[in-house]
Amino acid sequence: MNGTQYYLDTFKVGREQLRQLTATALAHGGDYSDLYFEYTTYFNLLLKDGVVSSGGFHTDYGVGIRVLKGEKTGYAYSENTEMADMLKAAQAASAIARGTGNGRAYQAVTDRAADLYPVTKCWRESSAEAFLPFLKAVEKAVFGKDGRVVKVIARLSNSVSDVMMYNSLDELTCDTRPMGSITVTAVFSQNGMTENMSASRSFRMGVEMITPELIDELAEQVTAGIDARFEAQRPKGGQMSVVMGAGASGILLHEAMGHAFEADFNRKGQSIFADKLGRKVCPEGINVVDDGTVSFNRGSGNYDDEGVSAEKTYMITDGVLTSYIHDRVSASWYGVAPTGNGRRENFRYNPIPRMRATYMESGNAAPEDIIASVKHGIYVDEFSNGQVKIGEGDFTFFVKSGYMIENGRLTMPVKDINIIGNGPQALADIIAVGNDLKIDNGTWTCGKEQSVPVSCGMPTTLISSLVVGGNQ
Amino acid sequence: MITPSEIQAARRCITIALENGASASRVCLTKSVNDTCTMLNSELDKVTHSADRSVYIYLYVDGRYGTFSTNRLEEAELEAFIIKAIGMVRMLGEDLCRTLPDPSRTATDAKSGLELGLYDAAYEGTDADARLHTAESLSIYGSLAAGEDGFIETDGRRFRLISEECEYADSIDDIYTVDSQGFEGRHTETSFNCFTEMTIEDTEGNKYSSFWWEASPFIKDIHGQECSRTALQKAISQIGPKNRRSGLYRMVVDTAVASKLISPILSALNASSIQQKMSFLEDSIGKRMFPEGFTLMDYARTPGRTGARLFDTEGVATKDAPIIENGIVRQYFVNTYMANKMHIAPTVEDITRPCVLPYLRDEAIHSGSISRQDILRRCGNGILVTGFNGGNCNPTTGDFSFGVEGFAFRRGRITHPVREMLITGNLLTLWNSLLAAATDARPSTRWQIPTLAFDAVSFSA
Repeated sequence: MNGTQYYLDTFKVGREQLRQLTATALAHGGDYSDLYFEYTTYFNLLLKDGVVSSGGFHTDYGVGIRVLKGEKTGYAYSENTEMADMLKAAQAASAIARGTGNGRAYQAVTDRAADLYPVTKCWRESSAEAFLPFLKAVEKAVFGKDGRVVKVIARLSNSVSDVMMYNSLDELTCDTRPMGSITVTAVFSQNGMTENMSASRSFRMGVEMITPELIDELAEQVTAGIDARFEAQRPKGGQMSVVMGAGASGILLHEAMGHAFEADFNRKGQSIFADKLGRKVCPEGINVVDDGTVSFNRGSGNYDDEGVSAEKTYMITDGVLTSYIHDRVSASWYGVAPTGNGRRENFRYNPIPRMRATYMESGNAAPEDIIASVKHGIYVDEFSNGQVKIGEGDFTFFVKSGYMIENGRLTMPVKDINIIGNGPQALADIIAVGNDLKIDNGTWTCGKEQSVPVSCGMPTTLISSLVVGGNQ
Repeated sequence: MITPSEIQAARRCITIALENGASASRVCLTKSVNDTCTMLNSELDKVTHSADRSVYIYLYVDGRYGTFSTNRLEEAELEAFIIKAIGMVRMLGEDLCRTLPDPSRTATDAKSGLELGLYDAAYEGTDADARLHTAESLSIYGSLAAGEDGFIETDGRRFRLISEECEYADSIDDIYTVDSQGFEGRHTETSFNCFTEMTIEDTEGNKYSSFWWEASPFIKDIHGQECSRTALQKAISQIGPKNRRSGLYRMVVDTAVASKLISPILSALNASSIQQKMSFLEDSIGKRMFPEGFTLMDYARTPGRTGARLFDTEGVATKDAPIIENGIVRQYFVNTYMANKMHIAPTVEDITRPCVLPYLRDEAIHSGSISRQDILRRCGNGILVTGFNGGNCNPTTGDFSFGVEGFAFRRGRITHPVREMLITGNLLTLWNSLLAAATDARPSTRWQIPTLAFDAVSFSA
């Protein structure tokens, strides 16, 4: 990480100006104010039809100013850091504190965070030329893996964000956040049929993430399973047991419970889990965490976007709902410490409780024994997207591929089915947890009001009953 | 609003690009201001003010192409930015298909930005107090009388109101595009929106939430408390869902969510999807892929209607045109790059205002309106879908699976709510089972997709 002066210089401000801005923001009687300075550079390259023929870079710069009065929020931002424009934004945000309203004490919380993503070579120091051979090598490796490949699309994108956060409690925190992402899509043709497969990797790393091993890994993943994809059929739909494969199945946790554990929904009484804190919500022995401390993970941050240090938050401990995930607002309302989940898309948005890396810790069952225990069900391991209704708890996730399970054995490949369930019911219906936790390092992005990078993970897990879409 | 000096700055970007080695360039300057006031349970919860300004620069250099953007518009910084960008483009692979559009295809009638009549001068008179007043007027929280036990009774339904979130927002968006061939186009649009989300709880502790919204380029179209009452009514109507057996049912899809079934079709008609062999509508031009009588129009140029535009992102003039006519695919969305690459005629980059025309299977449409209730009556028994919950459509095959919620209906009348259901099938098969398309699309939406009815849809529950 750079020293504080680097960030003050980047944003052309001094400490006295920071104090003046928070004082202006609190001029109408707010309880707390904070400033979020951001300078982000984005870069992307796209290989299509054998040529890296499009690419570009983008820069974004500005400061967001927030005022809290109780739980009420005033927010404004400026796309430059001229003092006059920042003061205007501070005055606009201060309007929330006009009139009556109960105040609330906000406490200083910042500890010095660990450096979760030390960078060997920053993306900003490299030119496009350096990455062209990588994309060409990915394409060549994918074509080399399977003769049915007719198209390869490969995209490399990266970003580097310098952020500086200052608040009316005189806490100043700074961070530089790298992110590199690769996505590869292959289109296959066989006997007049067309199918496509995708693979991605995303890490908070610098240029050093580009390795020959990564090329092999992506080529292997994007071609493995294509035989099954061509053979796959729609199953007969209905209620059945579902075995969630290790890794990307963590989308189940993200949709079925993670969102419902976000404390803003619970503070307003809107979540189906709003009255379940301290209660048993799933079988004993199950632990579900939201973790901001996984090194180089897409969802991690040395600090969240309110300057709170990263932590590993146990949401479910031994089957009991032990914590929601908090930003400063909800933490203050509940009278607990913030959990480092106050996140935002960029300086244009105020922070709200968001997930980071959400996963279930390993249990003690062997994955093969879990599959063998199912008489009739479905095994799923590749997903594209999901959604949840917070109040009702109804969630869905879309399965790109999987297999039917008949008498304890994987049988017919299946694809393109949606699975639907109810969060609390699905948690209660977990009957086996494998010993093979795997975090999925794909390009997961959560879209609750704003887009933020996240990741998810899960050991092989058996749920006794979910509704599987299919033919009738 | 974009100022004359900002227009000069955009033009200057073109000059800088050409002076530093670009053979052609397009620059798009966007500016927007947005204000919101959010009420939680009738009390002010959040106010936000945002003002954005960005420049997007498209560079064509030595047969190569790149896209760049920044929100740092000081001239010295812009010049350094463009020079650096040109340097990067030179490193990319040559692709001679990347060109600006034929100048004869670009719009010539978007000079002031006001031609489509989407700017409401009342926006300029809307201040913070007016916004707060409008936001407060949305709330019905205080008017709902609860008994001592906290429950409210309406039409025989008992519920507790958990939360009411109302939001009023207004914005102005101003876009100016200029290219090195002489195209200049501008589009200015105001927008006024209100949104309410209600969460209620029934006597057994089950929660239900629903939302409603109004949007228009004109403030006169915003009706305040109607929005909240509709959201509440929709939440109440979900109380007491019953399970429904898996099976084949007639499906009516409410206009509020019907665009979900059009979106994969429009993606499949994009030339980029077709060229990449990721479209289930490849080689479909001139072929009857949809039922006879079904027509999907692009009404891009209707003055005063949300989403209307005179030019696309390349500056190409839009036009009102059939996309699918009488079941026959008439148009792909082909930008200049794809036209050069696929050796086909260019059209526009994307659809602007999709509009499904009224349809009744085996019946000629003469005139008059077709309501959702008309369609329910025609269908007799089935499931009315009022919400989608996740799901996806395979772009190469058209196979889909979506989560749905809504209501069972019998003899044309709604009987009870249903949820946790899935529909599964193939999009082309689904559309060829179309029974009816109503005339009830909301005027406030860019996509004019009315209530639709389909036969024999596979539901899992």
